[in-house]
Amino acid sequence: MNIYVCIKQVPDTETKIKLSPDSTGIDTTGIKWIVSPYDEFAIEEALRLKEKNAGSLVTVIAAGPARVVEALRTALAMGADNAIHVEIAETADNFFTAKSLAAALKKEAKVDIVYFGKEAIDDGAGQTAQLTAALMDLPCVTVALNVEYSADKIKAKREVEGGAFEMIEATLPVVIAAQKGMNEPRYASLPNIMKAKKKEVKAYKESDLGVSSADQKIKLKNFQLPPPKQPGKKVEGDAATAAKALVQLLHTEAKVI
Amino acid sequence: MWQPILFCLFAAGFFGFSGYRFLRLYRLAKTQTGKAPARFNRIPERLIQTFINVIGQKAVLQKPGIGILHTLIFWGFLIITIGTMEQFVSTLIPGFNFEFLGQPTYVSLLFIQDLFTSFVLLAVLGALYRRIVLKPKHLGQSSDAFWVLAFTGSLMVSIFLMNASHLLATAPWYELAMPMSRRVAGVMGLLNLGTDAYETMAIIFKWIHMTLVMGFAAYIPTSKHLHIVAAGPNTFLMNLDRAKPMSTINFEDESITQYGAAKNTDLSWKDALDYFSCTECGRCQELCPAWNTEKPLSPKKLILDLKHQLFDKKSGEPIIGKEVTEDVIWACTSCRACEVACPVFIEHTDKIFDIRRNLVMMESKFPAEVQSVFKNMETNGTPWAFAAAERANWAQGLEIKTLAENPQYDVLLWVGCAGSYDERNKKVMKAFVNILNKSSVKFAILGTEETCTGDSARRIGNEYLFQTLAKINVENLNRYNVKRIVTACPHCFNTIKNEYKDFGGNYEVFHHSEFISKLLSEGKLNPTKSQPATVTYHDSCYLGRWNNVYDQPRDSIAKLPGIKMAEMKHNRDQSMCCGAGGGRMWMEETIGRRVNVVRTEEGLETGAQVIASACPFCMTMITDGVKTKEKTDSVKVLDIAELVSDSLTN
Ligand code: SF4
Ligand code: SF4
Repeated sequence: MNIYVCIKQVPDTETKIKLSPDSTGIDTTGIKWIVSPYDEFAIEEALRLKEKNAGSLVTVIAAGPARVVEALRTALAMGADNAIHVEIAETADNFFTAKSLAAALKKEAKVDIVYFGKEAIDDGAGQTAQLTAALMDLPCVTVALNVEYSADKIKAKREVEGGAFEMIEATLPVVIAAQKGMNEPRYASLPNIMKAKKKEVKAYKESDLGVSSADQKIKLKNFQLPPPKQPGKKVEGDAATAAKALVQLLHTEAKVI
Repeated sequence: MWQPILFCLFAAGFFGFSGYRFLRLYRLAKTQTGKAPARFNRIPERLIQTFINVIGQKAVLQKPGIGILHTLIFWGFLIITIGTMEQFVSTLIPGFNFEFLGQPTYVSLLFIQDLFTSFVLLAVLGALYRRIVLKPKHLGQSSDAFWVLAFTGSLMVSIFLMNASHLLATAPWYELAMPMSRRVAGVMGLLNLGTDAYETMAIIFKWIHMTLVMGFAAYIPTSKHLHIVAAGPNTFLMNLDRAKPMSTINFEDESITQYGAAKNTDLSWKDALDYFSCTECGRCQELCPAWNTEKPLSPKKLILDLKHQLFDKKSGEPIIGKEVTEDVIWACTSCRACEVACPVFIEHTDKIFDIRRNLVMMESKFPAEVQSVFKNMETNGTPWAFAAAERANWAQGLEIKTLAENPQYDVLLWVGCAGSYDERNKKVMKAFVNILNKSSVKFAILGTEETCTGDSARRIGNEYLFQTLAKINVENLNRYNVKRIVTACPHCFNTIKNEYKDFGGNYEVFHHSEFISKLLSEGKLNPTKSQPATVTYHDSCYLGRWNNVYDQPRDSIAKLPGIKMAEMKHNRDQSMCCGAGGGRMWMEETIGRRVNVVRTEEGLETGAQVIASACPFCMTMITDGVKTKEKTDSVKVLDIAELVSDSLTN
C-alpha cells in the first residue's frame, strides 16, 4: 500500500504565545516546535497499517518553512519510510496549504490512503484534510476513531456532535483525519532516530507545484490574545442567598443566563 | 602402597571434574560481550580493600551476628586448609609432615587448627540454628545452603574423629597441642578397641575427610559456595569510590548497534563474575524498597535469575521473560541499598540500567506515562509540562542575576526543574536564596539557559536523551567558564558532579546541605530563632548512598536552636528510599504498598513533628505520604534549607 501522512509543525503546547509587533501573527522567536499531536495519531495509524501489510510504504508530507523538516525527521524516526517537504510561507492559510499538499500528492505514482490529524493545535481550523480531499476528488472521513481496512475499502467509526458515533464506509483511495483515541503513538527507537537523521527529504518549491501566494485566501490583520483569566469568585452566604447571588452574577457579569 | 595410588585416582577424578566445571564457568563468562567497567587500575588500593574485606571480613561483619559466624568459618577454612595440604602430601609421601618447620611452629599450627575445627563446628551449628529456627525472611529456603553446611560440618567431624583415632593409636609427642581432639579421643578411648583398630580408624576417617574435601571441590561450581572462589576477585574489582557514574554510550561509534542489554550475553564478564560471587545471603533483598513493598523485584533473585540464564545456556535468549519481567526492571528506584549491603560487592543497578537501556532505546518499551516525560524533556528541557521560557519565573522579584547579565559571582546556583517549576520546591529554593543572601554569598543563575540535567532520562534508560541534555548544559556552563556550582537537588548534584565529566564538564559541585553546613560552621549564618520541634531526617539516596553525604544535613539541623533530632529505623547506608529515584518519580505505582507511604510511616514512628528532607523528589513523596496518613496537621515536611532559613532572624 502507498500510505501518506500530512503533518503540521506547531508551537509546543506549553508555549506562551506572543504577538508579532504588527499583530498579524505570532512572534515565533524562542518557540519550541512539535508535531501537532493529532498528526501523531495519524502517523501511528499509518505505521500500524504498514506493519500489517508487507511491502507498504509510509511517506510523510509537511508544508511550511524550512523548520518543518524537523517535524518530518520526527515522523521518519517513528518509522516512516520517506518524507516530502513542501516549502511554502509561514503565513500560508488552509487553502494554500491544502492546494500545495494536493499538488504534491498528485505527483506520486499511486496514493491509497492519506492521513491527517483532525486539526492542528495551533489554529485549530480543521480544514486542511477536507480541502485536500476535495482538491484531489477523494472521499474524506474526519474525526476518525477506529478504522477497519480491507483490500479496496475502509470502514471507519467517527465521532459526531453530542458524543455519538457513526460508521462510514469509503472506497480507496481515501483521506482519513485522525481523532485522539485512535491509538497510542509510539516513542521512536534509537536505531530509527539514527536512520532518520540520514534519510533524504524530497523538497518541492511553490513553482514545482504550480502554487503561489495568490492561492492565499485569508489575510490576518489584527491578532489579539484572549483576555487574561479572571480570578474565581466565592459566593458567600447560606444556600438560598448564595443561589440568588449566583444567578445574579451569571446574569449580569458572565451574561450566560 | 595402595594409598598414594588410590589418592592419585581420586584426585584425578574429583579435581578433574571440578576443574572441568570451573573451566565451563570461565567459558560462560567469556561469552559475555558487554563492556566491563575499567577496574584494573589503582592496584594498591584494590589490594588493601581485598585484604580488609576478604581476610578482614569487613563487609561481612556489617551484620555482626552472622558476620562473626562467617568469619570463624572462613578463618577456619584457611587454617584447616594447611592441615588438609599436609594430609594430601603425607598420603602421597608417607611420613611427610610440617614438623620440619620447627617444633614450636608445628605445635602452634596444630593447636590453632584444633581450636578452629571446633569453632567452625560451632559456627556451623549456629548457622543451622539460624536457618532452621530463626529463619530470617530475607534468607529464603535453599537446599544448597544445607548441603554446604552439611559438607562443612561433616568435614570438621571427620577431622576430629581422624585426629582422635590417631592420638589413640600412636600417642604422638604433640598430643597436648590438640586439646579438642584429645577430648574426643577421651570418649573414643572408652571403647577400648586397641591400637591397631584405632590406626585403621584413623586411616578410614582420613579418607572420609579427603573424599569430602574433593567432593566439595566438585560440588562448588554450581553452588552458592562458588563465592569462595569468585568473591575474592570480585572484591578486588569493586567500585572503589562511593560515587559511581553510569557508563556513557558513544553514539558516534557506528559499530555499536545494540544499546543496553537485550540478552544476557549483552552484559559483561564482570556481571557474570557478580553472579558467581552471590552468596544468596539476602542482605540486598532485606533492604530493597521494591521488595519490601511487595513489588516483584528482589535484587537477590534478579542476580540468581541472571545466573541461571547463563548456566542453563539461555544467555542468548531475551533477558525479559517469565522470571525477569518488565515489572521487575521498572520497580527499581536505583536506591543502591542492595549494592551497599552486598558483602561481595555485586552491582545490581548496572544490570538494571543496561536492561532498561535496551527496553527504552531499542524497543521503545516503558511505562506509558513516561512518554510525555521524555517529550517534555525533549521540547522544554523539563520533565514537567512547562515552557522552557518560564524556567526563571520563580525568581521574579528576587533580584537574582543571570550569567547572561555578566554579574560578579562566587558560585552558580543550579536551580533544577523542581526548584524552577514545582510549587512546593520553589519555596525551598526561595528559602535557600534567603540563606545565600543572609550569608552574603555572591551567586547567580543560568535562568532560561539552564535545562534539565537529564538524570531521570538516564536512569530510566534513555541515554540518548540524557546526552542531548547533558551536552547542552555542559556547553552553557563551559561557555560562562563556571567553576563552582551549588544545587538543592541531589539528582542534579550527582549528575553534574559525577557524570558530566564524560562530556567535558568539570566543576566543583556542592549540594546545598554541604554548602549550608559550611556556612554554619564558618559562622556566616546566625540561627537564633528557636523552633522547638523534634526533627527526623530522611536520607536521599543520591545524596547518601550515591555520594556519602550523611553528616552535613544532620549537623546543620542539629545546630538550630530548639531542635531535637530523632533517627528513623532505617537511616544512612540502610536508609529506605522515598520511592522516586531511578525515574520512578514519573511512573505510576500499581503493585503492592506505596514506597513513600511505608517510608513516611517510619518517619511518623519517631514521633517527630518535622520530617526533614534535602531533595525535591523526597519532598514530594514524603509530603504525599504524610497526606495519605492524614497527618498534615501534626507533621510538617520541610527541606533543611527551610529549617535553617526559618531560624535566621537578621
Ligand atoms: S537499587 Fe534499590 S530498588 Fe533497586 S534493586 Fe537495589 S535495593 Fe532494590
Ligand atoms: S547479591 Fe550480594 S547481598 Fe544479595 S544475596 Fe547475593 S551476595 Fe547477598
